[in-house]
Amino acid sequence: MLKIKGLKKQYGKQIAIDGVDLEVKRGETIVIMGPSGCGKSTTIRCINRLTEPDAGEILLDGQSVLSLKDEELRRFRRTIGFVFQQFNLIARLTVLDNVMFHLVLAGIPRAEAEARAKQALAKVGLTGSEKKYPSALSGGEQQRVGIARALVSNPQLMLWDEPTASLDPILVGEVLEVMEELVQTTKTTSIIVTHEVGFALKAADRIVLMDRGRIVESGAPQVIFNDPQSEIGKKYQRLIAC
Amino acid sequence: MFKFFRDGFYRDYIILILVTIIVGAAVSSGVAWAVDSYFGDTIQDVIGDNGEYDLILHVREASKEAALRELERIADQQFKGAVINQTISVAGQANFLFGFPQEAKTEDTFSRLPSIFNGVPGLSSYTVIVEPSVLVRGVHPSVSQTLQQRFSQLDGVDFAFKDGKNMLVVLESAEHSKAVMNEIREILKEYQVLEVRFPIGFEVDVQKTAHAVMEVLKEQAKSAKLSNVSSAEYGEELDALMKTLVEMRHFLLSYASKVKITLNHNSNLVVGEQIIVQGMSEQAPIKGESIAPDHVVIEVLDVQGNQAQGMIVSGSIAEAGEVLVQAGYKYHSDDLVGEPVGEVQLENERYRLNYAISESLRLLEELDELSVEAAVAVERADAVLTTFQEALMQLEVLQVQMRQLNEGLAENGAQSTSEQLIISLFLNGLLKNIAKSGSEGAAEYGLDSLENLDVASMRSSLGSISEQISNVQEIDVQAIINQIVDIRDSLPELDDEEIGKSVRLVDNYIGGQVIPGERIQILVENATIDEEKVEPLIREQLDNQYLNTYTISVGTVNPDTRTEVFRILKEVRATIAGILSIVFVGVFLMLDHASIFSTLKWIRANKKASKNRLVRYFNPVMILGVIVGTALLTATYTLSRAAIPYVSMSTVLIIGAVLGGLIGMFSEKFSPVHADEIMAGLSLGLSNVQIMHEIVIPASRPGLLNLLNRTKQRF
Ligand SMILES: Nc1ncnc2c1ncn2[C@@H]1O[C@H](COP(=O)(O)OP(=O)(O)OP(=O)(O)O)[C@@H](O)[C@H]1O
Ligand SMILES: [Mg+2]
Repeated sequence: MLKIKGLKKQYGKQIAIDGVDLEVKRGETIVIMGPSGCGKSTTIRCINRLTEPDAGEILLDGQSVLSLKDEELRRFRRTIGFVFQQFNLIARLTVLDNVMFHLVLAGIPRAEAEARAKQALAKVGLTGSEKKYPSALSGGEQQRVGIARALVSNPQLMLWDEPTASLDPILVGEVLEVMEELVQTTKTTSIIVTHEVGFALKAADRIVLMDRGRIVESGAPQVIFNDPQSEIGKKYQRLIAC
Repeated sequence: MFKFFRDGFYRDYIILILVTIIVGAAVSSGVAWAVDSYFGDTIQDVIGDNGEYDLILHVREASKEAALRELERIADQQFKGAVINQTISVAGQANFLFGFPQEAKTEDTFSRLPSIFNGVPGLSSYTVIVEPSVLVRGVHPSVSQTLQQRFSQLDGVDFAFKDGKNMLVVLESAEHSKAVMNEIREILKEYQVLEVRFPIGFEVDVQKTAHAVMEVLKEQAKSAKLSNVSSAEYGEELDALMKTLVEMRHFLLSYASKVKITLNHNSNLVVGEQIIVQGMSEQAPIKGESIAPDHVVIEVLDVQGNQAQGMIVSGSIAEAGEVLVQAGYKYHSDDLVGEPVGEVQLENERYRLNYAISESLRLLEELDELSVEAAVAVERADAVLTTFQEALMQLEVLQVQMRQLNEGLAENGAQSTSEQLIISLFLNGLLKNIAKSGSEGAAEYGLDSLENLDVASMRSSLGSISEQISNVQEIDVQAIINQIVDIRDSLPELDDEEIGKSVRLVDNYIGGQVIPGERIQILVENATIDEEKVEPLIREQLDNQYLNTYTISVGTVNPDTRTEVFRILKEVRATIAGILSIVFVGVFLMLDHASIFSTLKWIRANKKASKNRLVRYFNPVMILGVIVGTALLTATYTLSRAAIPYVSMSTVLIIGAVLGGLIGMFSEKFSPVHADEIMAGLSLGLSNVQIMHEIVIPASRPGLLNLLNRTKQRF
């Protein structure tokens, strides 16, 4: 479904990713792991072009993502769900509006948008919080709003950029639960950047390890963690052992 | 960057700019107009409607009731239908507006103003505000008559009249104002007063000098009509004051101690330098040592060859009765005695005057006593004379009797010789005694000389003496004495130091001022003379390197008071509008445009770095800021009809550009970007214009952009 070839991105002198190749099949759940600054975020941001890569190719169902222009690009983005580490909710909108506003702006009638939004909020366990503002919610709840917002447009691909990294350890659980539930039940193709090894083991079809802007190893979770080839893989193995 | 505007936001932006300009211009000019009309109304209150009043009479607050009564009487008796109104009081002065009835607005009325309002109690001055009119200030007296006539004959002019040094040209209607002002300017250009000023201290013969100056000018401008108008301004107030001051200076100096300095042949002393003498001090100044507090300091006023004159500026010689002659030394501000300069002669005028008066008073008193004594003496002399005369007559009788006795004795024979002797002895003794009682000196004369005394003429001269004495007694000597005592006591008790200070004060005041008799004014008609060109020629002709020449205009044109006030108001209005435009544009650049600029910058930062070097060096957002700032300010400024004095349109352009550029450069400071929200918007497939409408603008500061966005915003 998704084919990434030779993706490169450089910020000034700083090389963020240096030739990433990745293939994702429909319905697959990919977990990307790697040390901080290795280029995980850059890679998944390039997929919906929140970041413009310098070189490489991204094909989605055979169509070049990088050649999309304006309205085509926007239409494409509406089919991709993106969950941010910092939730990135619109502070001045209520929970319900946060989840539905982009549907309305995309031309979906308000009533329908509202119904879908409520459904999505129910899926993440937030029924009853529709009228609240993000600032009145806990971090975990905010992230669940973020997830609902991504889900509501029934995306063909979900991109998660460390969705639990900025949460209290206590709140991480509730988000991971929702994530697991989604991955297991909806079977939406997902690329998840996370440091949660437990979650990766349970939910990932495939784990991709990155280091210094490159993919160093990829394979089934058992394989990666039992018999790592890369240095990073070995580090993770040690981490699990303790 | 322009991609950002492509999907529709450019329309919003253009609307924003237009609305900003319109609102900005409306607000700026509106506020300015409000201020303007507020002041305009206030002025209306103060000086009435156009043409309603002709005069503002300034009256002492205390006399205002009486003044009003008198004004009402004047209106009632001389100007039926005149309007009187009391307006605001300022600084203890009440002000009355006075408007003549239409038919009384004539040259005759206005030239009689001082006499008409002469009797108004407490009147200190008045201001003519007759309208419509043109005011010509500082009309030179030499041409005021001519000008008044010429101005009166101009088209659209009703009449002209003099008001002190000003001339008011009253118009038939306000439309003529501009044309008349221009014509008056042209007329004024035909006259030029060339003034030759001499520095203080030069006394010139006005007639002779003026003649010489005119000779020079004649050479320069053959066709010019020249006349000496040097005295035209005499008697004017300033000159009168100057004259008084100069007189006062003379008076003070004549009253000060006379200081004459005879210079050593090698010492050079200049006017203004100070020298020091011993004065009444115990201790003489010694070169190189510091001066004593009771040493006398003298300022040099004049130097002629080896003679100099000065005045005492510090210290006193008040007790010195006689002329002091002392050695003088240079005195510098270091308080040390300097080089000896010569011999200084100090004479205390006041002491001498005082002495002379006291002496004459004593004399007068003595004279009075003397006359009384003399009168007594004359009386006594008269009595003596009478006795003397009686005695003389008795003596004659006695002589006759003695002769007869002698003869009788001689006839009666020799036996009586001893008797004869005794008798003649007795007679002689008797005679002596008589002479003694008459006058002490008389005895020396003997009887014969006694007979020679002209008693009658003595008596007559005694009579005339007595008459003179009684004349003297008739004079009221006491009154004279009192008078002189008064004079003596009224001599101001200034000491030399104080006189010195006063003279310096007067000198400072008149320094650089014109003193009558020390300047020449020549009226030049039909030609224009360049004063700088003739100055060296006149200097040469008069052999005086210190004189200066100036051109004085014979009058300057001003619009009438109201026009002037409203012109200033208009300027104020335009200035306020200008300042408001700048403030307004600055504020709205900050409130509205800063958020757009920040968003643009953020988006740019997320794009691939441009290959274009120009774009990399010149931040396009800053350039957009410069353009928007310039456009906003220029348009707002122009539309609000703003004009700040000394600020040209190009300066306004620059101010706009700088404002816009700065706000473009520091836009994040005014309006930080909510990057995560924009990022979310992008990831959700929102267009730029939607991101602006729903995310950026609603979160930005409330401004016009925010207001306009309300119609677009869906959430
Ligand atoms: N906007 C940017 N400007 C400059 N450098 C950037 C930018 N975004 C990322 N980088 C750099 O690119 C490199 C890769 O960053 P990226 O965010 O992709 O790493 P990451 O693997 O997601 O790290 P983390 O686990 O900390 O999120 C890092 O060295 C980072 O400093
Ligand atoms: Mg990251």
